Amino acid sequence: MIDFFIGMFLATLISALFTTRLYRLLFWYSMNSLALAFLALYIGQDINDNPLIISGMVTLIFKAIGIPYFLKKLSLKHQINRSIPPNISVHYAIILIPGILVFTFYLAQPLSQMMSEHANYVAISISSLFLALILMMQHKSIAPKIIGFLTIENSLFLLATTATGGMPMIVELGIFFDLLMAIVIINLLFLKNEETA
Amino acid sequence: MIYYIFSIIFLLSIAPLLLGFIKSIQMLLFYKKMVSIFQPYRNFAKLLKKEVVISQESSSITKIAPFLVLSPLVLIVFFLPPIFGNAFYVSFMDAFTITGLIALSTFFLMLLGLDSGNSFGGMGSSREAFISALVEPAMILNMFSISMMAGDLDIAKAGVNLSSHFPVEHMSSFIFAGLSFFILLLTETGRIPVDNPQTHLELTMIHEAMILDISGFYLLLIEMAASVKFVIFASLFASLFMPIGLELSPIFALLVFIAKLFIIAIAVALIETNMAKLRLFKVPNLLGVAIVFAFLSLITFYVLEA
Repeated sequence: MIDFFIGMFLATLISALFTTRLYRLLFWYSMNSLALAFLALYIGQDINDNPLIISGMVTLIFKAIGIPYFLKKLSLKHQINRSIPPNISVHYAIILIPGILVFTFYLAQPLSQMMSEHANYVAISISSLFLALILMMQHKSIAPKIIGFLTIENSLFLLATTATGGMPMIVELGIFFDLLMAIVIINLLFLKNEETA
Repeated sequence: MIYYIFSIIFLLSIAPLLLGFIKSIQMLLFYKKMVSIFQPYRNFAKLLKKEVVISQESSSITKIAPFLVLSPLVLIVFFLPPIFGNAFYVSFMDAFTITGLIALSTFFLMLLGLDSGNSFGGMGSSREAFISALVEPAMILNMFSISMMAGDLDIAKAGVNLSSHFPVEHMSSFIFAGLSFFILLLTETGRIPVDNPQTHLELTMIHEAMILDISGFYLLLIEMAASVKFVIFASLFASLFMPIGLELSPIFALLVFIAKLFIIAIAVALIETNMAKLRLFKVPNLLGVAIVFAFLSLITFYVLEA
């Protein structure tokens, strides 16, 4: 079951890399967070860890529903351009993305000898970190870059959840408040962007 | 053995019904009056009675090709994973065989399009060649990956193995293969994101452009080939990616299988109504996603064993 959610996590992230529309990108980000939230809830229930369940709930409410909705409202308010063609053309991305995946999977091989279980989850979260960086790199406009930043946070959460069985909840909550602050700052950024454009 | 023969006859006879079902679901979603789901059978009966008209410019290929379009597909039906548990099945078809047989059928369809010498035929054939060249690598990778997960290179055996013990530890590569295969299903059977089977709009048509000149019995063969192709892909998806219900008693196994086929048909109909057709030069992007997922499924299986 954990494999299923991790698979969905990576699949939604790769779909996000190929989208050219902002709302579709927000949708894929929301699906990505949803997979992550269910994963946290499942692991939390499995190892009977209440803080992890709470972080899963918070992820579900904020990242899967709250942030995409809020970003959509913001982009409507500031009339952000909804067409976001990626800089890296799809033909190159088809070669680049499997290349990155193979590279990171082999990069994580030494880790798998150190850890007894969940070694491949670490590999997948590192590769999703790289894919999120690609998402940030391949767009010029500000809104997809923000989604890329949020996705990096998602993959760090995945890394923390699967590698260590959940980080302390205080750290997790701290990151959440950070993200919320970041969203408020992004509002200002959009405003600035609108003025200069 | 009797189950084997029954399942072949069953698959061949349910093929037009599925297309009719997709059509009627679409009509329902468009708030139109529903077409009967048996309409394709009536069309076939009508085509059987019609006269065959062949263009003067065409060579003997036009008379041979329709049979050669249909026969590789019918051959594939014989090697599909079994519908019933403990039933007889033929272990013959691996990832390369199935891709090759589908490519053979497509090759003769393209020849048929070129043969009549009208400009639409050539256009349709070139588009079909463009798309099928992109489908093949994804198809081979995909089938190879699923047969590695099942532990047997043969597809029919893979279907049985998957059903007897499902590879829970390979769940993520299983999902990637499933996603990739669903895109291939839409592409190969000419459904909406790639090709629209209902219109004859010259800018977009692919399959229809190749068969514009064909009439009567030959058109019947081509239409049957299209429906058999759909049922092959739907049944592969049902056996390999929804591997449940094989161990039930024969009647229930059959019911579960029919339910799976209809679920796939509903999914295809929903996608067709909710998506716009892609521009021709956007199609490689969609198939690129399919290739990435198929490759990802294989490397996740090998490197991570997940």
